[in-house]
This record gives sequence, C-alpha cells and structure tokens, in this order.
Amino acid sequence: QFSALTEVLFRFLTEPREVERFLTQLSDFATMNKISLGPLKSIVKSILLVPNGALKRNLSSEQVRADFIALGLSEEKASYFAEQWKVHSPTLTRLAVGQTLMINQLVDMEWKFGVTAGSSELEKVGSIFLQLKLVIKKGGQMENVYIELTLPQFYSFLHEMERVKTSLESFS
Amino acid sequence: QLVSALHSLTRHVVYRGLTRAEDILSLFPENFHQNLKNLLTKIILENLSSWRNEAQASQISLPRLVDMDWRVDIKTSSDSISRMAVPTCLLQLKIQEDVALCGNSPVVSALTVELSKETLDTMLEGLGRIRDQLSAVANK
Repeated sequence: QFSALTEVLFRFLTEPREVERFLTQLSDFATMNKISLGPLKSIVKSILLVPNGALKRNLSSEQVRADFIALGLSEEKASYFAEQWKVHSPTLTRLAVGQTLMINQLVDMEWKFGVTAGSSELEKVGSIFLQLKLVIKKGGQMENVYIELTLPQFYSFLHEMERVKTSLESFS
Repeated sequence: QLVSALHSLTRHVVYRGLTRAEDILSLFPENFHQNLKNLLTKIILENLSSWRNEAQASQISLPRLVDMDWRVDIKTSSDSISRMAVPTCLLQLKIQEDVALCGNSPVVSALTVELSKETLDTMLEGLGRIRDQLSAVANK
C-alpha cells in the first residue's frame, strides 16, 4: 500500500508537469484503499516536502531515511522511500538544475543565407549575406532577434563558439 | 544646379558599376570641355571603389552584428539546489540597427544571451552546417 503511494509520488516528482495524472492517480488510490481524498492530499503535501527539501540540500538517501524516521515513519517504510529516492535522485537533480535561473536563454536558432543581387545604389552587387534568427526566452516570453552577418564575421563567430565549447568542456 | 548635376553623375556611375574611363567619358555631352571632362573622370575613378564600399556598407539590411564577446561561468548554487557545478556560457552580441535608418548616429545595442552546454552544441552543429552549405555554394 505504502509502496503504491510512493510510486505515485515519485512519478509526479520526476514529471512535475503531469499534475492531472498525479491527481487522478491519487484519487484512484484513495478509492482503492477507502480513504477520503482530502486528508490524503494533505498527507501527500507533507510527504512531498521531504524530497523537495532533500533536493535543495543535496541530502543522501541515508539522511532522507533518517529524516523520515525522525518524522515518525516506520523504519521499513522510511528505508523503502530512501531506496526509491536513491534511484530517482539523478533525474530529480537534473530537473532541479534545469530549473535554475537563466538570463535571456537562447532557445532556438534559424538561419538563411543568400546573395545580395542589387540595391538602389548599386545595380549589381553579388555579395553574400547570412541572416540569423535567435529565439530568446526573456522572462516568460519568447523574443526573436534578427541579425545579419558578413562572411568574415560568420567565420570568426564560428571560431569563437568553438573556443567556448572547449572552455565549457574543460569545466564539465 | 552644378552640385546636383555632379551628384547625379556620380550616382549613375556607381550604380552602373562603370569602371573604365571610356564608359565614363561617354556619359558627357559632345561639346563638353575636354580637360574638365578628363579631370572629372579621373577624380571619379579614384573615388569609385570607396564610394562603392560605402554604398554597400550603408545598404538597408537587418540589424548587423558589430561585435561579440563571451564568458564562461560555473553555477555553483541556486534556490532549487544548493550545490552544483554547471558550466554555462554568456554571449554578448553588439548589434547595430539598420544603418540606413540611423544615418549618422548609429544605434548599437548589446544583447546578452545565456547558453547551456547543450544549446551551444546544437548551435555549433547548426553553424557547421552553414559552413558546409557555404563551401558547397562556393565550390559550384
């Protein structure tokens, strides 16, 4: 019984967007075990505090187990939960890192390049241009930024980005 | 009237991309003063390439990249997790608005963008494809 509930909880933690599914599974659990949904929800809320706090403080599964025992859970149940925690913590950590603040995050990039054939000042031009569209997440909204680069600029941009990659890799 | 005529003449030469003295000389009317014609042609030819470059530089375009800078940070802690070591890149692009619209006082804005390692890898993939496409076009 406890393990079924734990499973539901962890499934929600690893996929925090599936709120509806979580609520459906909770009410199914309540009906199956003949408990009313209200108190179940508040119990679940308090239980969820433990993994969230554990994540914030990078607790080991040992510490999670100890915390649960201190909160009054039986040793068997606490150990089971801690085991599940160990299994899921890489995913949960990755999710938490993914939620970290990012300023003006680059989300997407599109490009096109072509040749400028002529202009109002010059009848025949024949120069290559590169246009980039960068999609940036500003706060909650997406913003599109359009820029144009000449060929030499493109090559030096590529070169710089390769240097960034080397730098990032040396820190991973 | 003189200035306006000179202006039209030079614009026409630059527009048509005339580079030979004969082509320019043929633009003048029959009974034009010979020495003046030659002098004007000579001056036009001298300035031709810089005028052409300037026309290209002040072409209408999307905002142009003027400069870029980057820095790599390591995120060590956040409100959702207290210890981590995640490298991230901050890229600053200096962008100049359409030159034709700004005239003599170009507006340069700085845009700072953050990229995670995954985003950077995807971007590099895209840039690599651009480079391949460019060399395919150049080799045709």
